[in-house]
Amino acid sequence: MSEPTPTAPVGLDEDLYRPIEQTGRGFYSMAAFFLAVFAFGVYQYIRQLRFGLGVTGMNQPVTWGFYIINFVFFIGISHAGTLISAILRLTQAEWRRPITRMAEVITAIVLAIGGLHPIIDLGRPDRLLNVFKWGRLQSPLLWDVMSITAYFAASTVYLYLPLIPDIARLRDRGTRPQWLYRFLSWNWQDTPQQRKVLHNAMNLLMILVIPVAVSVHTVISYIFAMTLEAGWHSTIFGPYFVAGAIFSGIAALMVVMIVFRKVYHLERYLKPIHFSNLAKLLLVMSIVWFYLTFSEYLTGFFGNEPAELDVLMTKISGPYAFPFWLMVFVNFVVPVALLSRKKTRSIPVILFVSVGIVVGMWIERLIIVVPSLAVPYVEFPQHAYWPSIAEIGIFAGAIAAFCLGFMVFAKFFPLICIWEIEEGRSEALEESVERFRSYLPDPPREDALKEGRP
Amino acid sequence: MIRALQWLSIALMWGFALSLMVLVPWLVVVAARWHDALNWSLAISLVMLPVYLTVAGVLTYVFVGLQRGRDDRSSP
Repeated sequence: MSEPTPTAPVGLDEDLYRPIEQTGRGFYSMAAFFLAVFAFGVYQYIRQLRFGLGVTGMNQPVTWGFYIINFVFFIGISHAGTLISAILRLTQAEWRRPITRMAEVITAIVLAIGGLHPIIDLGRPDRLLNVFKWGRLQSPLLWDVMSITAYFAASTVYLYLPLIPDIARLRDRGTRPQWLYRFLSWNWQDTPQQRKVLHNAMNLLMILVIPVAVSVHTVISYIFAMTLEAGWHSTIFGPYFVAGAIFSGIAALMVVMIVFRKVYHLERYLKPIHFSNLAKLLLVMSIVWFYLTFSEYLTGFFGNEPAELDVLMTKISGPYAFPFWLMVFVNFVVPVALLSRKKTRSIPVILFVSVGIVVGMWIERLIIVVPSLAVPYVEFPQHAYWPSIAEIGIFAGAIAAFCLGFMVFAKFFPLICIWEIEEGRSEALEESVERFRSYLPDPPREDALKEGRP
Repeated sequence: MIRALQWLSIALMWGFALSLMVLVPWLVVVAARWHDALNWSLAISLVMLPVYLTVAGVLTYVFVGLQRGRDDRSSP
């Protein structure tokens, strides 16, 4: 194989290589902690495999609990990445450059974790093979399998392609493991032809992933909306789920950005302006989320249909009232109060608000999934749902898997797209000025000037 | 060795896309055999398949394009 020509200038962006080339004690202790939590989750799952779903808190009539809540929650978080990154790239938002990579990594990791949850929810996961033999294409559950697989494939490729030039930089610096960087860099030498190929592919993918991402969460909402269950059978569930997914995705992205900015000293790259812009986006999404929530519940209330009202009352004044109002408080009241004023839009406040929204959106998934099942349509004793240690352990294991996955990624690859930063320094300024000029009105024609017309 | 692994990864991606190309028509056949909403099955498969094929096609385009676009003057 030919030896590639060097593509890695040394100097300005050394901070971005440091976490890959130097590993501190903190990394190993955190990795050990997350590995232990993950192992506990695996142990709980093995226990569930051995004794069946009886070890969970699920029972008739609440047959969907933590696993489906977490499935919807994690897939929602995945909208952080590909969708936000693709929209920012497509609109040529220049402030996107240090953000996109982290967003794309979140997507790939949480999709893998979230996509496994319906399998964890199966008492007999071996029966999954029946989907391939006798699956019903007209079942929304199978639509989910297909759309999540497509989204995972598209977003992994969308993460990988912009990574290639950075992998080549690591290869040329002699960073270990060399075989990995040589394998993944595909002989990247930064030639004009290679750049053209990569840009063409990225342009195509960024257009492709937006409808795929929107369709994924719409299809997830169909699992609920296609039933006649009170509280689920709603025509706005598709956009409601998509808006909630983008909302929780931005919040999760901000949490990750703030944590890794602090841990890896990325203050030079992730500046207050990035957080301020994302915070404004978060504020808009908070208002959109509240509008959709209000519309969803108002139509249910105004229809006065007894089964619908039962579920609604269970949420707003019954056993689920506390989580319901907590959800409204952290998802709407807190963001609007704190993010709408420039004075309070500081990084610590944004972290506080974002953590609140991530928790609030998890509660929102709980509020959607459980009360509709807990108040059954037909005559059946009501049942309060409490998760068991198995469900809590597996949830903790999933969060640990996310943290571990992100740490391992950061150990091998730069968390900020180095070549995009370099491109920003060398070309984006001139390009932006040119683009700005193209937005301005054209100068008046000569004949119009002669006649004295404006 | 590394070149072989790279081509293997393309083959795996196509294997994945093609296995779905086999699976989806099979599920349409199952729906037809069971008189089970065939129209829906056809409509959904028409939406799904192009996405997988595009992703596999883009990856192949990039991998082949990067090999063709490299600077051969640096070869030993």
